[in-house]
Amino acid sequence: MSDPRPNRYQLGPDVVEVQRAPEPGVGRSFYRAFRETLRGLKTTLGRFAEGTVTIQYPEEKTPVYPRFRGRHKLHKFEAEIDGTAGLEKCVGCSLCAAACPADCIRVVAADNDPENPTSAGERYAAVYEINLARCIFCGYCELACPFDAITLGHDYELSDYNRSDLIFTKDMLLDEPAERTPLRREGE
Amino acid sequence: MSSNLQYRSPYTVVDALPPGYSRRPAGEPERATITFTIDGQEIQAPEGIMVVDAAKYGGVEIPVFCYEPKLGAPVGACRMCLVEIEGIPKLQTACSTPVRDGMVVVTKSERVVEAQNGVVEFILLNHPLDCPVCDKGGECPLQDISYGWGGGESRMVEPKRHFEKPVALSDAIAIDRERCILCYRCVRFSQEVSEDYQLVLLDRGAGAHVGTFDGTQYIAPFSGNIVELCPVGALTSRAYRFRARPWDVEQGGSVCTLCPAQCNVSYTVRDEQVMRTLSRENAGVDDGWLCDKGRFAYEAWESDARITTPLVRQGDKLMPARWEVALTAAANILKKSGPRTAALAGGATTNEEGWLLRRLMLDGLGSPHFDSRRGGEFDFDVARTLANPALAATMPDVEWADALLVLDCEPVDDMPVLDLRIRKGVRRNGVKLAIASARPSSLDAGATRVARIAPGGAEAFTQALLAALGDGGDVETLCENAGADAAEVRAIADLLAGAKRPVIVWSERLAVTGRGAAPLRAICNLADRLGIAAKDGAGLLEVPLSANARGLREIGLLPTAAPGLMHCDNPGLDATGIAAACGEEISALVLMNTDPLSDYDDPTAWSAALAKAGAVISFSTWMDAATARHADVVFPAEVGPEKDGTVTHPDGRIQRLRQTVERAGEVNAGWWVLNELGRRVGVDLGVKVANQATAQIANHVGIYAGVTTAELGGDGVRWQERDAAANLPRPARTTFDLTPPPAAPSSDGYLRLGVFRSLWSGGEVVNAATLATLAAAPRRVELSPVDGERLGLTSGDAVTVKTGDGEMSAVVALRDAVPAGFAFVSADLRLDEGDEAAVATLGRALASTEERSAEVTK
Repeated sequence: MSDPRPNRYQLGPDVVEVQRAPEPGVGRSFYRAFRETLRGLKTTLGRFAEGTVTIQYPEEKTPVYPRFRGRHKLHKFEAEIDGTAGLEKCVGCSLCAAACPADCIRVVAADNDPENPTSAGERYAAVYEINLARCIFCGYCELACPFDAITLGHDYELSDYNRSDLIFTKDMLLDEPAERTPLRREGE
Repeated sequence: MSSNLQYRSPYTVVDALPPGYSRRPAGEPERATITFTIDGQEIQAPEGIMVVDAAKYGGVEIPVFCYEPKLGAPVGACRMCLVEIEGIPKLQTACSTPVRDGMVVVTKSERVVEAQNGVVEFILLNHPLDCPVCDKGGECPLQDISYGWGGGESRMVEPKRHFEKPVALSDAIAIDRERCILCYRCVRFSQEVSEDYQLVLLDRGAGAHVGTFDGTQYIAPFSGNIVELCPVGALTSRAYRFRARPWDVEQGGSVCTLCPAQCNVSYTVRDEQVMRTLSRENAGVDDGWLCDKGRFAYEAWESDARITTPLVRQGDKLMPARWEVALTAAANILKKSGPRTAALAGGATTNEEGWLLRRLMLDGLGSPHFDSRRGGEFDFDVARTLANPALAATMPDVEWADALLVLDCEPVDDMPVLDLRIRKGVRRNGVKLAIASARPSSLDAGATRVARIAPGGAEAFTQALLAALGDGGDVETLCENAGADAAEVRAIADLLAGAKRPVIVWSERLAVTGRGAAPLRAICNLADRLGIAAKDGAGLLEVPLSANARGLREIGLLPTAAPGLMHCDNPGLDATGIAAACGEEISALVLMNTDPLSDYDDPTAWSAALAKAGAVISFSTWMDAATARHADVVFPAEVGPEKDGTVTHPDGRIQRLRQTVERAGEVNAGWWVLNELGRRVGVDLGVKVANQATAQIANHVGIYAGVTTAELGGDGVRWQERDAAANLPRPARTTFDLTPPPAAPSSDGYLRLGVFRSLWSGGEVVNAATLATLAAAPRRVELSPVDGERLGLTSGDAVTVKTGDGEMSAVVALRDAVPAGFAFVSADLRLDEGDEAAVATLGRALASTEERSAEVTK
């Protein structure tokens, strides 16, 4: 069979001929356009039936895990052992300040009044300040504390209008947070 | 702000010489170098030093608790330093075994490690491990060694021993006996270094603890050192208690300017406040010790009594004023008074402040009337002879002398740390000590010879000594004039004549006896007679009456001499002259860090002088009597850790002060105030930073030529050892014709009155909580028990001491050492107590050589 076209139009062996599918019909075009949308909507509609999961912060709060590291707490002795109930556990040893990688803890210790002690030891923390604007919540202070006097709590609401208000004093750290953060239940 | 301490690792030896030594003291024996092996490496070290120290030459660390070379011979009490030495079957204590040539030491074998673990466990048996509460936590050798060499576990299940804690050992020190590991350091300090013999180990076995024998407080001039020595938290400073942890603080090195000893200190600073003062060892100055005054003075600096704002007198009252107002007021006074202004500088003045004050007076006001001495004749030849480097004794020379004469000087009050240096020399190096003083000295016990002289008889004693050395004169007569025993004087003369390295320590008080430079001429002759200039390690050491007296003299804060003891064409009035000329030739007075009413010997004259002086400008830290009553403008003065500048030690060491804390309140630098005053009276002193004043001194003071703060570093440099010492002008003569001294004043049938000044005086003592009880002690009159019996007096009796037309109240203290016929009164010339009569009496007794009798009645 001879080629009717002149030689100069003869295509080389590297030319690929495009083969086109037949033009789709109306129905198939529609399906092609909305298939993915419908697939997405399937999930949406499915979840719609499950109900709302949005947490209405700040009216509602996200529960945190038990080991969540939030705002620090200083503790007092609770049980009545050797008359220590109500005394601060912190003796102002400054080990937390030494351990702190962000250098945000400041402790100034003082001599305890034996008649009217503040802590259970010879010394107590006259000044205990944590600059929460600088804290990285690593928990080293808790780890360093020889008396379990400082722990990291669950409170994470720490925004403020003023940087200096984020320096928490001893009284603030000894107080319970005003609203407790909900804890995540077992297996949740 | 950063520390200027050169880091000196305790475990490596950088230099064979201790810090501050430029050369080995002449008397110290040479040590051969030996080679020994430690942990497989061959090391060279001086022969005979302990293995612990020798190990440092190879960078090997052997842990110790009880070993402290400053305390003298080791005791081997703690057993922490056990090492294996080849050829000896049992482990040896490295701290008490001298190293020998060819010795093979092993510090890391299984046996040694087991022994070390065992010792740590043993020491920790009774140690309470209350580290979080303990003040030593973080800087505790026991913590460090437990981590480094301990086994980590204790098998002790029984209860630990308990003591009541903490107990006050004194106002300054708290003792926690549970924590004590019985290393004996504090006891050894008390017994062998300060020799106050107060601390002992009480009870035996598990009940052993440190305390004073009869349970009284441990009160001694150097008691604070035991806090620094304690390797655990058993002895803590009550003032520093719980104030900071090592990681809360920075250390800043400087020099204490409270007395001529000029100890090197390191201030512990937290939040721009000095928390405590630690010693900074400089073997050429303080040997690593501090007195309690220097150690606890920081409490006074933060007390409310300090002046922290400029004050200007309005009517009767000194009112706080802005700097601008105070400077203008002062400048107006100075401009009005011009060349009729006079200035006095006290011992806390740095060389820089003294230099700028000199320039302000000379260049700004054209007045040559300024003085840093207490008056008395200034003889160029005597001053230049005494400044001769060949005649200068260094502090280590005092310790290595073979004969030491302490002339009319009580080191523990005049220059406390010198007292420890002399004791060290006597105890460890066999220094033969001779004492010539009126009042029994605390050094008497260790002295080979003690000559009691009459108060004011030091010049006659010196001449008697010269006569006994064959310099002409009649020994018997001179001894009689001195009130001394001729046999004793001859014995001292023999002692000094036979010595290879005689050292004479004398007090500047000899220069202000009212006899002019005559007593100093006798000292020059004595130095010549003993051939001190030619003897290596021999020398003279003057104990000045104020901290930086030598520096101020040498930079030229003298009315009669130019900087560097050069000739001066236009001499002015000296301190005595200024007092006399106030109100006439002098119409305004500048007082820099000095209160003439308590620092100078004649408060009566000064009281009149200050009242007559038209205006008084005072640079002061405290509201002292002169400032409170007479000052028209008061500039708050800086205290130790706030100062920048240089001072000169009595042995010629130029030392650098470095600012370590922000100045309190509105206090400004002394150089800044002087520069501002200069600007206002029309002279540019050209100082914008403190160093520029140092540079001016380096340019204009011949013997300090080219000195820079960088050269001084942390240890200071003796100017006698620099090339610039050649700029010291030669004296026309070095020996002098002596005039016969007057006979010791008669006692008129009463007791002979002597006066002494205690270390425990001044604003720093009164206002420091720890020291206040010492300062509050009532005026004391010391009598011999013989006179006590004769007069029916016992210790503690309140008496009246009458002398001349004055009288004062005092409390009797009978001292066995006081010779019969003498009464010694503590002259704390504090006018704020309201007993001016007493102060005037004491002042007269101090100032005159005639009025020396006292009647003591109940």
